[in-house]
Amino acid sequence: MVHILGTLLPEKQLVKFALTHFYGVGHLTAARLCARTQIHDRCKIRELTPSQITSLTGFLSSPSTASTLPHFPLATPDYVPPRLSEPIPAAPRRPTTVDASNPEKELPGDKLRGLRIGAELRRDIRDNIAHLRNIGSYVGLRHALGFPVRGQRSRPNAHTARKLNRVVRYA
Amino acid sequence: MYATAVVQSGRSAWKGPFFVAFPNIRLALENNVPIKTKARSCTILPNFVGLRFLVHNGKDYLPVNVTQDMVGHKLGEFSLTRKRFTFRATKNK
Repeated sequence: MVHILGTLLPEKQLVKFALTHFYGVGHLTAARLCARTQIHDRCKIRELTPSQITSLTGFLSSPSTASTLPHFPLATPDYVPPRLSEPIPAAPRRPTTVDASNPEKELPGDKLRGLRIGAELRRDIRDNIAHLRNIGSYVGLRHALGFPVRGQRSRPNAHTARKLNRVVRYA
Repeated sequence: MYATAVVQSGRSAWKGPFFVAFPNIRLALENNVPIKTKARSCTILPNFVGLRFLVHNGKDYLPVNVTQDMVGHKLGEFSLTRKRFTFRATKNK
């Protein structure tokens, strides 16, 4: 069994499915996490190397401050590959057209940058509901009453709302 | 205010928030006179903070005091349109 950030991941599961044990990680995010930490598609939890577990833990503990992806620019149309006999030149630097002033700026499309999981995400949700309640809006009132928030009927059904809608959702 | 409220609301960002240009904001702020309005869909802008509104709920005009935290929400969110159900023992009263 492998524990990452206090969450138990079953050994026999594929990594992309086991990662959904984290609160706030679904299949799409799990696939993205695997891609980011370079874990292949059919890899199971028990096949993870310690360095992969370390990189997963490091990324999940602070996605916003994790190091940016290495950038491999595509070759330009006029690129002439070096001959096989010559030594391979050093990798070219990140293109200056993206952002020359701030090389650490996130690349467009980095969907994992603002990832929030686990207790952090629960706290966010709790704070959002508390904000709605404190300013006295209708949505906050419906949360406090345990009723549906978006105009659904509350006479027969509304069981999910009764279960979830509280001022403090995850006490 | 949520900085991304405009983006997340489902409304095109280039339009900006929907709001009604109340003509007498400064006077109302100085004299502490409530602004009577039916524009429930008007977004609360940062310069509304401290104003008093009377927002129509379909029947009455309910008082709404705008605070800093309300910025980005709509005026109608603070003027309830539904009455709480109260049980009456006898019908003929």
